[in-house]
Amino acid sequence: MTRTLRQIALLVAKDLRIEARTRQTLGLVTVLGILIVVVLGLGLGAQQGGVGHRATAVLWVAYLFAGVLCFEKTMSVERHDGALAGLLVAPVDRGTIYAAKLISNLVMMLAVALVVTPAGVVFFGFDLSAAPGQFALVIGLSMLGFAAVGTLFAALVSSSRLAGGLLALVVFPLTLPVVIASTQIMLGIFRDGQDLGGMALGVLGAFDVVFLAASWVMFEWVLEP
Amino acid sequence: MSVALAHPASTIAADVTQAVSARELGVRFDDRAVLQDITLDIAAGQYVALVGANGAGKSTFLRVLATLLPAGDGEVRLFGQDLARAGPRVRGKIGLIGHQTMLYRDLTVRENLEFFGRLYGIADPSGRARLLMDAVGLPHRADDPVKSLSRGMGQRVAIARALMHSPDLLLADEPFAGLDIASALALEELLGHFHHKGRTIVLVNHDIGQSLRLAQRVLVLRGGRLVTDRPTSQCDAQSIAARIIGP
Repeated sequence: MTRTLRQIALLVAKDLRIEARTRQTLGLVTVLGILIVVVLGLGLGAQQGGVGHRATAVLWVAYLFAGVLCFEKTMSVERHDGALAGLLVAPVDRGTIYAAKLISNLVMMLAVALVVTPAGVVFFGFDLSAAPGQFALVIGLSMLGFAAVGTLFAALVSSSRLAGGLLALVVFPLTLPVVIASTQIMLGIFRDGQDLGGMALGVLGAFDVVFLAASWVMFEWVLEP
Repeated sequence: MSVALAHPASTIAADVTQAVSARELGVRFDDRAVLQDITLDIAAGQYVALVGANGAGKSTFLRVLATLLPAGDGEVRLFGQDLARAGPRVRGKIGLIGHQTMLYRDLTVRENLEFFGRLYGIADPSGRARLLMDAVGLPHRADDPVKSLSRGMGQRVAIARALMHSPDLLLADEPFAGLDIASALALEELLGHFHHKGRTIVLVNHDIGQSLRLAQRVLVLRGGRLVTDRPTSQCDAQSIAARIIGP
Protein backbone atom coordinates (compact mmCIF):
# COMPACT_ATOMS: atom_id res chain seq x y z
CA MET A 1 0.00 0.00 0.00
CA THR A 2 2.80 2.39 0.93
CA ARG A 3 4.59 1.52 -2.30
CA THR A 4 1.43 2.18 -4.31
CA LEU A 5 0.84 5.54 -2.66
CA ARG A 6 4.47 6.49 -3.19
CA GLN A 7 4.22 5.57 -6.86
CA ILE A 8 0.99 7.57 -7.26
CA ALA A 9 2.66 10.59 -5.66
CA LEU A 10 5.66 10.19 -7.98
CA LEU A 11 3.50 9.98 -11.09
CA VAL A 12 1.36 12.95 -10.12
CA ALA A 13 4.43 15.03 -9.24
CA LYS A 14 5.91 14.14 -12.62
CA ASP A 15 2.75 15.24 -14.47
CA LEU A 16 2.55 18.50 -12.55
CA ARG A 17 6.25 19.21 -12.99
CA ILE A 18 5.92 18.77 -16.75
CA GLU A 19 2.86 21.05 -16.76
CA ALA A 20 4.60 23.66 -14.63
CA ARG A 21 7.54 23.62 -17.03
CA THR A 22 5.64 23.65 -20.32
CA ARG A 23 2.41 25.41 -19.29
CA GLN A 24 0.93 23.84 -22.38
CA THR A 25 -2.33 22.75 -20.81
CA LEU A 26 -3.47 25.15 -18.11
CA GLY A 27 -2.93 28.35 -20.08
CA LEU A 28 -4.87 27.08 -23.08
CA VAL A 29 -7.63 25.49 -21.05
CA THR A 30 -8.17 28.50 -18.81
CA VAL A 31 -8.47 30.84 -21.76
CA LEU A 32 -10.94 28.45 -23.38
CA GLY A 33 -13.00 28.28 -20.19
CA ILE A 34 -13.19 32.07 -19.87
CA LEU A 35 -14.09 32.42 -23.54
CA ILE A 36 -16.96 29.98 -23.12
CA VAL A 37 -18.27 31.90 -20.12
CA VAL A 38 -18.04 35.22 -21.99
CA VAL A 39 -19.60 33.99 -25.25
CA LEU A 40 -22.46 32.16 -23.54
CA GLY A 41 -22.91 35.07 -21.16
CA LEU A 42 -23.32 37.47 -24.05
CA GLY A 43 -25.69 35.08 -25.78
CA LEU A 44 -27.83 34.62 -22.69
CA GLY A 45 -27.94 38.32 -21.86
CA ALA A 46 -25.96 38.02 -18.65
CA GLN A 47 -25.37 41.78 -18.42
CA GLN A 48 -29.09 42.49 -18.09
CA GLY A 49 -29.26 40.68 -14.75
CA GLY A 50 -31.68 38.12 -13.38
CA VAL A 51 -29.94 35.13 -14.95
CA GLY A 52 -27.38 34.46 -12.25
CA HIS A 53 -28.55 30.90 -11.68
CA ARG A 54 -27.80 30.10 -15.32
CA ALA A 55 -24.13 30.54 -14.51
CA THR A 56 -24.09 27.02 -13.04
CA ALA A 57 -24.98 25.50 -16.42
CA VAL A 58 -22.61 27.80 -18.28
CA LEU A 59 -19.80 26.95 -15.89
CA TRP A 60 -20.44 23.30 -16.52
CA VAL A 61 -20.03 23.82 -20.25
CA ALA A 62 -16.68 25.48 -19.53
CA TYR A 63 -15.64 22.70 -17.13
CA LEU A 64 -16.57 20.03 -19.68
CA PHE A 65 -14.53 21.40 -22.54
CA ALA A 66 -11.65 22.39 -20.30
CA GLY A 67 -11.70 18.97 -18.68
CA VAL A 68 -11.57 17.11 -21.98
CA LEU A 69 -8.53 19.14 -23.02
CA CYS A 70 -6.86 18.36 -19.68
CA PHE A 71 -7.52 14.64 -20.13
CA GLU A 72 -6.06 14.68 -23.63
CA LYS A 73 -2.98 16.65 -22.66
CA THR A 74 -2.05 14.63 -19.58
CA MET A 75 -2.23 11.43 -21.61
CA SER A 76 -0.42 12.85 -24.63
CA VAL A 77 2.62 13.43 -22.38
CA GLU A 78 2.90 9.64 -22.16
CA ARG A 79 2.71 9.20 -25.92
CA HIS A 80 5.79 11.23 -26.80
CA ASP A 81 8.87 9.09 -27.36
CA GLY A 82 7.12 5.99 -26.03
CA ALA A 83 7.22 7.16 -22.41
CA LEU A 84 4.15 5.07 -21.64
CA ALA A 85 6.03 1.89 -22.53
CA GLY A 86 8.64 2.90 -19.95
CA LEU A 87 5.89 3.07 -17.35
CA LEU A 88 4.28 -0.18 -18.41
CA VAL A 89 7.57 -2.08 -18.19
CA ALA A 90 8.15 -0.72 -14.67
CA PRO A 91 6.76 -2.58 -11.64
CA VAL A 92 3.75 -0.30 -11.48
CA ASP A 93 0.21 -1.59 -11.39
CA ARG A 94 -2.10 -0.26 -14.13
CA GLY A 95 -4.52 0.85 -11.41
CA THR A 96 -1.75 2.98 -9.93
CA ILE A 97 -1.24 4.71 -13.26
CA TYR A 98 -4.98 5.29 -13.51
CA ALA A 99 -5.20 6.76 -10.02
CA ALA A 100 -2.25 9.06 -10.71
CA LYS A 101 -3.69 10.28 -14.01
CA LEU A 102 -7.06 10.86 -12.36
CA ILE A 103 -5.49 12.93 -9.60
CA SER A 104 -3.40 14.92 -12.08
CA ASN A 105 -6.53 15.65 -14.10
CA LEU A 106 -8.48 16.68 -10.99
CA VAL A 107 -5.70 19.01 -9.87
CA MET A 108 -5.64 20.68 -13.29
CA MET A 109 -9.43 20.94 -13.44
CA LEU A 110 -9.41 22.47 -9.98
CA ALA A 111 -6.84 25.03 -11.11
CA VAL A 112 -9.00 25.89 -14.12
CA ALA A 113 -12.14 26.09 -11.96
CA LEU A 114 -10.41 28.51 -9.59
CA VAL A 115 -10.07 30.97 -12.47
CA VAL A 116 -13.16 30.23 -14.56
CA THR A 117 -15.65 30.12 -11.69
CA PRO A 118 -14.95 33.69 -10.49
CA ALA A 119 -15.25 34.80 -14.12
CA GLY A 120 -18.71 33.22 -14.27
CA VAL A 121 -19.68 34.72 -10.93
CA VAL A 122 -18.70 38.21 -12.03
CA PHE A 123 -20.04 38.03 -15.58
CA PHE A 124 -23.43 36.58 -14.60
CA GLY A 125 -23.80 38.37 -11.29
CA PHE A 126 -24.09 34.90 -9.78
CA ASP A 127 -24.54 35.07 -5.99
CA LEU A 128 -22.23 32.23 -5.02
CA SER A 129 -22.05 33.56 -1.46
CA ALA A 130 -25.50 32.06 -0.81
CA ALA A 131 -24.00 28.56 -0.56
CA PRO A 132 -20.31 28.42 -1.48
CA GLY A 133 -19.64 25.22 0.44
CA GLN A 134 -22.54 23.39 -1.23
CA PHE A 135 -21.40 24.66 -4.64
CA ALA A 136 -17.89 23.34 -4.02
CA LEU A 137 -19.18 20.00 -2.77
CA VAL A 138 -21.52 19.45 -5.73
CA ILE A 139 -18.94 20.54 -8.30
CA GLY A 140 -16.24 18.47 -6.61
CA LEU A 141 -18.32 15.29 -6.59
CA SER A 142 -19.46 15.85 -10.16
CA MET A 143 -15.95 16.54 -11.43
CA LEU A 144 -14.74 13.34 -9.80
CA GLY A 145 -17.21 11.27 -11.83
CA PHE A 146 -16.49 13.25 -14.98
CA ALA A 147 -12.72 12.89 -14.57
CA ALA A 148 -13.04 9.19 -13.74
CA VAL A 149 -14.62 8.52 -17.14
CA GLY A 150 -12.48 11.08 -18.97
CA THR A 151 -9.23 9.61 -17.69
CA LEU A 152 -10.24 6.15 -18.84
CA PHE A 153 -11.26 7.21 -22.32
CA ALA A 154 -8.30 9.54 -22.76
CA ALA A 155 -6.09 6.47 -22.41
CA LEU A 156 -8.22 4.58 -24.91
CA VAL A 157 -8.47 7.38 -27.44
CA SER A 158 -4.79 8.32 -27.18
CA SER A 159 -3.87 4.96 -28.69
CA SER A 160 -6.31 5.54 -31.54
CA ARG A 161 -5.57 7.35 -34.77
CA LEU A 162 -8.87 9.18 -34.31
CA ALA A 163 -7.68 11.00 -31.20
CA GLY A 164 -8.58 14.55 -32.22
CA GLY A 165 -12.09 15.40 -31.03
CA LEU A 166 -13.08 11.80 -30.43
CA LEU A 167 -12.67 12.06 -26.68
CA ALA A 168 -15.37 14.72 -26.32
CA LEU A 169 -17.74 12.65 -28.46
CA VAL A 170 -17.28 9.66 -26.18
CA VAL A 171 -17.06 11.32 -22.77
CA PHE A 172 -19.85 13.90 -23.02
CA PRO A 173 -22.71 11.44 -23.57
CA LEU A 174 -21.39 9.05 -20.94
CA THR A 175 -21.09 11.73 -18.28
CA LEU A 176 -24.31 13.49 -19.20
CA PRO A 177 -26.24 11.94 -16.27
CA VAL A 178 -23.81 13.35 -13.71
CA VAL A 179 -23.75 16.77 -15.40
CA ILE A 180 -27.55 16.94 -15.55
CA ALA A 181 -27.83 15.83 -11.93
CA SER A 182 -25.25 18.42 -10.91
CA THR A 183 -26.93 21.32 -12.70
CA GLN A 184 -30.38 20.34 -11.39
CA ILE A 185 -29.06 20.19 -7.85
CA MET A 186 -27.45 23.60 -8.20
CA LEU A 187 -30.56 25.14 -9.74
CA GLY A 188 -32.43 23.82 -6.72
CA ILE A 189 -29.93 25.48 -4.39
CA PHE A 190 -29.31 28.80 -6.13
CA ARG A 191 -32.61 29.46 -7.93
CA ASP A 192 -35.15 27.77 -5.68
CA GLY A 193 -33.39 28.21 -2.36
CA GLN A 194 -33.45 24.51 -1.51
CA ASP A 195 -30.97 22.87 0.84
CA LEU A 196 -28.53 20.33 -0.47
CA GLY A 197 -30.20 17.09 0.55
CA GLY A 198 -28.70 13.72 1.28
CA MET A 199 -30.56 12.31 -1.70
CA ALA A 200 -28.79 14.66 -4.11
CA LEU A 201 -25.40 13.85 -2.65
CA GLY A 202 -26.28 10.17 -2.78
CA VAL A 203 -27.03 10.40 -6.50
CA LEU A 204 -23.72 12.13 -7.25
CA GLY A 205 -21.86 9.74 -4.95
CA ALA A 206 -23.44 6.76 -6.67
CA PHE A 207 -22.36 8.05 -10.07
CA ASP A 208 -18.85 8.52 -8.75
CA VAL A 209 -18.63 5.03 -7.29
CA VAL A 210 -19.92 3.40 -10.48
CA PHE A 211 -17.73 5.49 -12.78
CA LEU A 212 -14.62 5.03 -10.64
CA ALA A 213 -15.05 1.30 -10.20
CA ALA A 214 -15.81 0.64 -13.87
CA SER A 215 -12.98 2.86 -15.07
CA TRP A 216 -10.47 1.34 -12.64
CA VAL A 217 -11.31 -2.16 -13.85
CA MET A 218 -11.32 -1.26 -17.53
CA PHE A 219 -8.16 0.85 -17.50
CA GLU A 220 -5.91 -2.20 -17.59
CA TRP A 221 -7.51 -3.32 -20.84
CA VAL A 222 -7.44 0.01 -22.65
CA LEU A 223 -3.88 1.02 -21.86
CA GLU A 224 -1.71 0.10 -24.81
CA PRO A 225 1.92 1.13 -25.20
CA MET B 1 32.63 3.60 -17.34
CA SER B 2 33.40 1.02 -14.71
CA VAL B 3 32.11 3.20 -11.90
CA ALA B 4 28.54 2.75 -13.12
CA LEU B 5 28.88 -0.96 -13.15
CA ALA B 6 28.97 -1.38 -9.41
CA HIS B 7 25.71 -3.22 -9.67
CA PRO B 8 24.35 -4.90 -6.60
CA ALA B 9 24.35 -8.68 -6.68
CA SER B 10 21.73 -10.34 -8.85
CA THR B 11 18.37 -10.95 -7.21
CA ILE B 12 17.75 -14.15 -9.17
CA ALA B 13 16.94 -16.99 -6.81
CA ALA B 14 19.55 -19.71 -6.86
CA ASP B 15 17.14 -22.35 -8.13
CA VAL B 16 15.92 -20.26 -11.06
CA THR B 17 18.34 -21.14 -13.79
CA GLN B 18 16.28 -20.03 -16.77
CA ALA B 19 15.86 -16.31 -17.31
CA VAL B 20 13.50 -16.97 -20.22
CA SER B 21 11.50 -20.07 -21.08
CA ALA B 22 9.18 -19.97 -24.07
CA ARG B 23 7.04 -22.90 -25.13
CA GLU B 24 5.26 -22.88 -28.49
CA LEU B 25 4.96 -19.11 -28.30
CA GLY B 26 2.81 -17.56 -30.98
CA VAL B 27 1.61 -14.01 -31.63
CA ARG B 28 -0.81 -12.92 -34.32
CA PHE B 29 -1.69 -9.42 -35.51
CA ASP B 30 -5.14 -9.80 -37.02
CA ASP B 31 -4.73 -12.74 -39.40
CA ARG B 32 -0.98 -12.48 -39.73
CA ALA B 33 1.21 -14.74 -37.64
CA VAL B 34 4.13 -12.64 -36.39
CA LEU B 35 5.63 -15.29 -34.13
CA GLN B 36 5.04 -18.99 -34.53
CA ASP B 37 5.91 -21.93 -32.36
CA ILE B 38 8.90 -20.38 -30.62
CA THR B 39 10.34 -22.77 -28.06
CA LEU B 40 13.58 -21.87 -26.31
CA ASP B 41 15.29 -21.40 -22.99
CA ILE B 42 17.75 -18.66 -22.13
CA ALA B 43 19.83 -19.43 -19.08
CA ALA B 44 20.28 -16.77 -16.46
CA GLY B 45 23.50 -14.91 -17.13
CA GLN B 46 23.59 -15.68 -20.84
CA TYR B 47 24.29 -13.06 -23.53
CA VAL B 48 22.07 -13.81 -26.51
CA ALA B 49 21.90 -12.07 -29.87
CA LEU B 50 18.63 -12.15 -31.75
CA VAL B 51 18.96 -11.44 -35.46
CA GLY B 52 16.68 -11.53 -38.46
CA ALA B 53 15.40 -9.50 -41.38
CA ASN B 54 12.96 -6.63 -40.96
CA GLY B 55 9.58 -8.02 -39.97
CA ALA B 56 11.02 -11.33 -38.77
CA GLY B 57 9.43 -10.86 -35.34
CA LYS B 58 12.45 -9.79 -33.27
CA SER B 59 10.88 -6.70 -31.73
CA THR B 60 7.61 -8.52 -31.18
CA PHE B 61 9.46 -11.25 -29.31
CA LEU B 62 11.14 -8.64 -27.13
CA ARG B 63 7.82 -6.91 -26.48
CA VAL B 64 6.34 -10.19 -25.28
CA LEU B 65 9.28 -10.70 -22.93
CA ALA B 66 8.90 -7.10 -21.72
CA THR B 67 5.22 -7.80 -20.91
CA LEU B 68 4.12 -5.10 -23.37
CA LEU B 69 2.39 -7.65 -25.57
CA PRO B 70 0.56 -10.77 -24.43
CA ALA B 71 1.51 -14.13 -25.86
CA GLY B 72 -1.32 -15.24 -28.10
CA ASP B 73 -0.40 -18.92 -27.96
CA GLY B 74 1.90 -20.93 -25.79
CA GLU B 75 3.60 -19.96 -22.57
CA VAL B 76 6.43 -17.66 -21.55
CA ARG B 77 8.17 -17.71 -18.20
CA LEU B 78 10.65 -15.19 -16.86
CA PHE B 79 12.75 -16.49 -13.98
CA GLY B 80 10.22 -19.25 -13.48
CA GLN B 81 7.16 -16.98 -13.39
CA ASP B 82 4.43 -17.35 -15.97
CA LEU B 83 4.11 -13.97 -17.70
CA ALA B 84 0.36 -14.42 -18.17
CA ARG B 85 -0.08 -14.50 -14.40
CA ALA B 86 2.92 -12.53 -13.19
CA GLY B 87 2.23 -9.24 -11.45
CA PRO B 88 4.27 -6.05 -11.51
CA ARG B 89 7.04 -7.66 -9.43
CA VAL B 90 8.48 -9.63 -12.35
CA ARG B 91 8.68 -6.43 -14.39
CA GLY B 92 11.13 -5.10 -11.84
CA LYS B 93 13.61 -7.67 -13.14
CA ILE B 94 13.39 -6.39 -16.72
CA GLY B 95 15.21 -3.52 -18.36
CA LEU B 96 14.10 -2.49 -21.85
CA ILE B 97 15.88 -0.44 -24.47
CA GLY B 98 13.44 0.08 -27.32
CA HIS B 99 13.20 1.93 -30.59
CA GLN B 100 11.97 4.99 -28.71
CA THR B 101 13.73 6.54 -25.75
CA MET B 102 10.78 6.03 -23.36
CA LEU B 103 11.77 9.27 -21.66
CA TYR B 104 9.86 12.44 -20.81
CA ARG B 105 11.15 15.03 -23.23
CA ASP B 106 10.29 18.02 -20.99
CA LEU B 107 12.14 16.63 -17.99
CA THR B 108 15.90 16.86 -17.69
CA VAL B 109 18.20 13.88 -18.02
CA ARG B 110 18.66 13.79 -14.24
CA GLU B 111 14.93 14.13 -13.54
CA ASN B 112 14.12 11.29 -15.93
CA LEU B 113 16.66 8.92 -14.40
CA GLU B 114 15.70 9.78 -10.84
CA PHE B 115 12.00 9.45 -11.64
CA PHE B 116 12.43 5.93 -12.99
CA GLY B 117 14.81 5.03 -10.17
CA ARG B 118 12.20 6.03 -7.60
CA LEU B 119 9.48 4.24 -9.52
CA TYR B 120 11.52 1.05 -9.23
CA GLY B 121 12.13 1.76 -5.55
CA ILE B 122 15.92 1.72 -5.74
CA ALA B 123 17.79 2.90 -2.66
CA ASP B 124 19.74 5.91 -3.93
CA PRO B 125 18.23 7.14 -7.21
CA SER B 126 20.27 10.35 -7.24
CA GLY B 127 23.57 8.55 -6.76
CA ARG B 128 22.67 5.86 -9.27
CA ALA B 129 21.63 8.50 -11.82
CA ARG B 130 24.98 10.27 -11.38
CA LEU B 131 26.88 7.02 -11.93
CA LEU B 132 24.96 6.17 -15.06
CA MET B 133 25.20 9.67 -16.49
CA ASP B 134 28.98 9.31 -16.11
CA ALA B 135 28.84 5.87 -17.71
CA VAL B 136 27.02 7.07 -20.80
CA GLY B 137 29.16 10.19 -21.03
CA LEU B 138 26.50 12.78 -20.33
CA PRO B 139 27.23 14.29 -16.91
CA HIS B 140 27.55 17.72 -18.53
CA ARG B 141 24.01 17.47 -19.90
CA ALA B 142 22.42 16.29 -16.64
CA ASP B 143 20.25 19.37 -16.23
CA ASP B 144 19.24 19.78 -19.85
CA PRO B 145 15.79 18.68 -20.97
CA VAL B 146 15.81 15.48 -22.98
CA LYS B 147 14.19 17.26 -25.93
CA SER B 148 17.35 19.33 -26.34
CA LEU B 149 19.56 16.26 -26.86
CA SER B 150 20.58 14.78 -30.19
CA ARG B 151 19.17 11.39 -31.16
CA GLY B 152 22.34 9.60 -30.15
CA MET B 153 22.48 11.36 -26.79
CA GLY B 154 18.82 10.54 -26.20
CA GLN B 155 19.64 6.91 -26.92
CA ARG B 156 22.42 7.00 -24.35
CA VAL B 157 20.01 8.36 -21.73
CA ALA B 158 17.55 5.63 -22.69
CA ILE B 159 20.26 3.06 -22.03
CA ALA B 160 20.96 4.64 -18.64
CA ARG B 161 17.23 4.54 -17.85
CA ALA B 162 17.06 0.84 -18.67
CA LEU B 163 19.99 0.14 -16.34
CA MET B 164 18.84 2.35 -13.44
CA HIS B 165 17.41 -0.56 -11.44
CA SER B 166 20.16 -3.05 -12.37
CA PRO B 167 17.74 -5.41 -14.11
CA ASP B 168 18.37 -9.15 -14.11
CA LEU B 169 17.25 -9.32 -17.74
CA LEU B 170 18.15 -6.60 -20.23
CA LEU B 171 16.16 -6.56 -23.45
CA ALA B 172 17.96 -4.33 -25.93
CA ASP B 173 16.25 -3.65 -29.25
CA GLU B 174 18.86 -2.22 -31.60
CA PRO B 175 20.60 -0.22 -28.86
CA PHE B 176 23.47 0.75 -31.18
CA ALA B 177 21.17 2.55 -33.62
CA GLY B 178 21.99 6.23 -33.79
CA LEU B 179 25.20 6.00 -31.77
CA ASP B 180 28.52 7.32 -33.00
CA ILE B 181 31.53 4.99 -32.98
CA ALA B 182 32.82 6.10 -29.58
CA SER B 183 29.39 5.74 -27.99
CA ALA B 184 28.87 2.35 -29.62
CA LEU B 185 32.18 1.09 -28.26
CA ALA B 186 31.32 2.46 -24.82
CA LEU B 187 27.96 0.69 -24.96
CA GLU B 188 29.62 -2.58 -25.98
CA GLU B 189 31.84 -2.27 -22.93
CA LEU B 190 28.90 -1.36 -20.70
CA LEU B 191 26.92 -4.38 -21.85
CA GLY B 192 29.98 -6.59 -21.44
CA HIS B 193 30.46 -5.50 -17.82
CA PHE B 194 26.75 -5.90 -17.22
CA HIS B 195 26.93 -9.45 -18.52
CA HIS B 196 29.98 -10.29 -16.45
CA LYS B 197 28.01 -9.34 -13.36
CA GLY B 198 25.77 -12.31 -14.09
CA ARG B 199 22.96 -10.49 -15.87
CA THR B 200 21.10 -11.84 -18.86
CA ILE B 201 21.08 -9.87 -22.10
CA VAL B 202 18.91 -10.37 -25.17
CA LEU B 203 20.29 -8.13 -27.88
CA VAL B 204 18.41 -7.45 -31.11
CA ASN B 205 20.92 -6.29 -33.66
CA HIS B 206 21.28 -6.03 -37.42
CA ASP B 207 25.07 -6.10 -37.32
CA ILE B 208 25.83 -9.81 -37.50
CA GLY B 209 29.57 -9.46 -36.98
CA GLN B 210 29.08 -7.35 -33.88
CA SER B 211 26.43 -9.76 -32.57
CA LEU B 212 28.72 -12.76 -32.98
CA ARG B 213 31.56 -10.90 -31.30
CA LEU B 214 29.52 -9.76 -28.28
CA ALA B 215 27.10 -12.60 -27.56
CA GLN B 216 27.52 -16.21 -26.51
CA ARG B 217 24.60 -17.49 -28.49
CA VAL B 218 22.76 -16.40 -31.59
CA LEU B 219 19.10 -16.88 -32.43
CA VAL B 220 17.86 -16.31 -35.97
CA LEU B 221 14.22 -15.50 -36.59
CA ARG B 222 12.78 -15.80 -40.07
CA GLY B 223 9.11 -15.25 -40.83
CA GLY B 224 8.29 -15.42 -37.14
CA ARG B 225 9.97 -18.80 -36.67
CA LEU B 226 13.15 -19.65 -34.84
CA VAL B 227 15.33 -21.15 -37.55
CA THR B 228 18.75 -21.12 -35.86
CA ASP B 229 19.85 -21.41 -32.24
CA ARG B 230 23.58 -21.93 -31.88
CA PRO B 231 26.58 -20.84 -29.80
CA THR B 232 28.30 -17.94 -31.51
CA SER B 233 31.58 -19.85 -31.30
CA GLN B 234 30.17 -22.28 -33.87
CA CYS B 235 28.91 -19.65 -36.33
CA ASP B 236 30.31 -17.27 -38.84
CA ALA B 237 28.69 -14.17 -40.28
CA GLN B 238 28.13 -15.70 -43.70
CA SER B 239 26.24 -18.71 -42.42
CA ILE B 240 24.07 -16.52 -40.20
CA ALA B 241 23.35 -14.16 -43.09
CA ALA B 242 22.35 -17.17 -45.16
CA ARG B 243 19.98 -18.33 -42.43
CA ILE B 244 18.44 -14.84 -42.19
CA ILE B 245 17.82 -14.66 -45.93
CA GLY B 246 16.65 -18.25 -46.09
CA PRO B 247 16.70 -20.86 -48.80
